[in-house]
Amino acid sequence: MKTLRGNRLTAAPLAAFVLALMTLFATSGAAALNLNAKAPDFETKQLTEPGGSFKLSRQLGKVVYVDFWASWCTPCRYSFPILDGLADKYGAQGFMVVGVNQDDSVKDREAFRQKVPVKFALLDDGDHDVAKAFDVKAMPCGYLIDRKGILRRIHLGFDASTPEKLEAEIQLLLKEVP
Amino acid sequence: MTFKRLIILCALLLSAALAGCANVKPYERGHLAKPEMQFDADFSVTKLSQQMYAAKEASSGGYTTGGGGCGCN
Repeated sequence: MKTLRGNRLTAAPLAAFVLALMTLFATSGAAALNLNAKAPDFETKQLTEPGGSFKLSRQLGKVVYVDFWASWCTPCRYSFPILDGLADKYGAQGFMVVGVNQDDSVKDREAFRQKVPVKFALLDDGDHDVAKAFDVKAMPCGYLIDRKGILRRIHLGFDASTPEKLEAEIQLLLKEVP
Repeated sequence: MTFKRLIILCALLLSAALAGCANVKPYERGHLAKPEMQFDADFSVTKLSQQMYAAKEASSGGYTTGGGGCGCN
């Protein structure tokens, strides 16, 4: 590899290659989300209540589960009825679920809503701005926010063990005084 | 000299190829999850042939039959 050493002609394309690799794996620069820190505030349109909007900071005093979902996300089909049940069960105590949609196709989204109807609020996120703010790492992805607006727990994906864990966490957070 | 040129050419080609790559965020995978984006033309045929293959070879797995495209299965 003698030719590689100290040869600018060879080093330049190699540097370009490394730069291209770095660009490829570089993150978008979105701020990393920290547990036990303030959850990013957002305001977006409601799908379930046309004309209505949802603002996270208006929900202070409630335990909020922000769920990111899409029609193409298979586990979302499984998670929706369970989240709906939890919202029903603990709603009176101050728990709520909001589903932030990530579909690019309105047709697909509406077909999913017909197939898996839920009572909790579904929100529009057409430009993925909310997902970017929350630095969503998987689909589905759920963020549990306490009564003070502090992010307490992140659920990546949704499997058979998630409902039990989530319910225990909700119960704990509901006991905390705002 | 030829070796050096080859290295330069390879590096340039790789850089050009890498420029075509993109990072797809988990929430942007809607288009990738569409049936026309699958490698196989017919998912059920692939599944059936894999089942036969597994029976003949007494081994299975290694294929992606999960679907969904969300990277969560």
